[in-house]
Amino acid sequence: MAVARGAGYGTLALLLLVVTFALGASIGETPIPVTVVGQTVANHLFGASYELDPIEAGIVWNYRLSRAVVAACCGAALALSGVILQALLRNALADPYILGISAGASTGAVSVAILGIGGGAISLSFGAFVGSLAAFAFVALLARGAGRGKGQIILAGVAGSQLFNALTSFIVTKSASAEQVRGIMFWLLGNLSGVRWPDGALALPAAAIGTCVCLWYARALDAFTFGTDSAASLGIAVWRVQALLIAAAALMTAVMVSIVGSIGFVGLVIPHAARLVVGVRHSRLIPASALVGAVFLVVSDVVSRTVISGQVLPIGVVTALVGAPAFAFILVQGQRKS
Amino acid sequence: MVRPSIFLAAAAVAVPLAMTAAGAAQAADTSYPLSLDNCGREISFDSPPQRVVSLGQAGTEMLYALGLGDKVVGTAVWFNPVLDRFEKINQQVERLADNDPSFESVVAKRPELVTSQFEWHVGPQGIVGTREQFAELGISTYILPTDCVGKDNTTGGDGTRNVQVTTDLIHRTVGELARIFDVPEAGDEVIADLKTRERDARQQVERIELDQDVSAVVWFSSAEMDIDPYVAGQNGAPAYMLKQLGIRNVIDSNEEWPTVGWETIAQKNPTIIVIARMDRRRFPADDYKRKLEFLKTDPVTRHMDAVQQDRIVIMDAHAMQPTLRLVNGLETLADAVESYELSK
Repeated sequence: MAVARGAGYGTLALLLLVVTFALGASIGETPIPVTVVGQTVANHLFGASYELDPIEAGIVWNYRLSRAVVAACCGAALALSGVILQALLRNALADPYILGISAGASTGAVSVAILGIGGGAISLSFGAFVGSLAAFAFVALLARGAGRGKGQIILAGVAGSQLFNALTSFIVTKSASAEQVRGIMFWLLGNLSGVRWPDGALALPAAAIGTCVCLWYARALDAFTFGTDSAASLGIAVWRVQALLIAAAALMTAVMVSIVGSIGFVGLVIPHAARLVVGVRHSRLIPASALVGAVFLVVSDVVSRTVISGQVLPIGVVTALVGAPAFAFILVQGQRKS
Repeated sequence: MVRPSIFLAAAAVAVPLAMTAAGAAQAADTSYPLSLDNCGREISFDSPPQRVVSLGQAGTEMLYALGLGDKVVGTAVWFNPVLDRFEKINQQVERLADNDPSFESVVAKRPELVTSQFEWHVGPQGIVGTREQFAELGISTYILPTDCVGKDNTTGGDGTRNVQVTTDLIHRTVGELARIFDVPEAGDEVIADLKTRERDARQQVERIELDQDVSAVVWFSSAEMDIDPYVAGQNGAPAYMLKQLGIRNVIDSNEEWPTVGWETIAQKNPTIIVIARMDRRRFPADDYKRKLEFLKTDPVTRHMDAVQQDRIVIMDAHAMQPTLRLVNGLETLADAVESYELSK
């Protein structure tokens, strides 16, 4: 019964994702009929030979679908990072951003864009990737030095975020023109407009591997929500599994941030939303969070490029507008419970 | 050393004459004290400034063109190399910074006047300094009218133009600088030259009788190679060039340099693509060769008519601003359009 229901949910979920992709590829400043989307996909995937306007078909396949796929991967990966951190830190407000990963990515990006580190040989994305890993390493070391308490890593994350945000502000203030500041702002708040298929080739495996790691350790994550002692009593190699899961969360976030910039609140809000639907068991929470995250980000991207005519709103603005009130709600709920 | 005293003597004679013949005295010497309305602020001069710091290449080259290089004691905010003909004089002037100089480095040059190409350098929120800050130290400020007349700098990334920028505004700027420094003949000469060249470029294209729906997009740069590019809006300098030659700008925005998605641009499928050439290398797309490569290899843009027909015009970035070089841009565009055979 449970298996059949699970399969039913799974089918429904996949259908939802396909519909979201179709909408993502169809909706834009100039709407393209869903039939053209279907024909384009058929041409590329099934060798069909519909005669289509090359520009229209190119927009559907190379711009919008690649963008939807990357948005979906990004949503799934960020949501899963949130699931991991919330379980390990036993903190409902934990989120990849608490670890300062996004702040580090921003510093890396502006270092390349404004300071010109790498002399043009290093892309903004690579700078962001290196920055996010550096920030994570900093926060992890600081937390380790600060002791084992569950709140330590969050405090270390706050310190790391502040430090890297200050560095970013310093660089921007020091030497950015209006044009650069605008380019950087777009980056700091997340932007999918430059996404193409090669980005998908990076995002897809990262999200897939992250999901597999999470699913493999689903039981361990269940155990960690009751504390490390319970996990240890169940025979879980606490430090090794913790380190592995945190590394998975950090890498997934760093890869996604390096492709699309900083998109906040997904890791925080989506796991909570998914828990409302499927409960707290990680074997269900993980696929559900990945899926809800994927759909949420594809929809947010569509909203971001259609809500203001002729202008693209950074996607981080859309996710924050949904996420910040949700954050407040969780905060207040948590306070009432305690 | 002789020239200023001659000018002063001439001014002394000319003052009463100029006062009686106000308005008609275009080539007459300046009468001091001179008052001007400059970007919403009244500025006045008791005599021609002897020391000026010029922020922004546009104003700097105007001062050089007016023969005032010896009065310039510092420059900053550079986009392209200085025009060849000003190279010698420019070498003698200290460059305070390639981009934004600090307030103190400007003040340290003890200028009587600071000119600024952009209001965001010197203006209400000027990052170099506000006009009040300079005024407190007895330093006058002059913002090029090209950045404030018909333009709202509080909206949009690089400001929003409510009124089409025109070469008249550039001529006015040159004229005002000539008046401030009391070099009216030089001002008239520069303006007359600009007018002649602009008329010639326009006539060159008029002779071709362009097809009615020739359109264009002007791509300045992009923060990342594939990302939404910065393109010219409806009322800036590139839009003026296009209008003068009877070419439609496919971008509707009133922002000076809006970011517009490639899918929107590709769907509008402009006849011509103009790309900026600059020496700045902050973004990969600053290199015009990278822009060309993108246009020819991106799976969507390579299908655009302009790319397939090789109608891509390479233009100096500085010509895309309201500067003396706008006319160079107009000439570049006119030559390109003539070679594309776009007649009715």
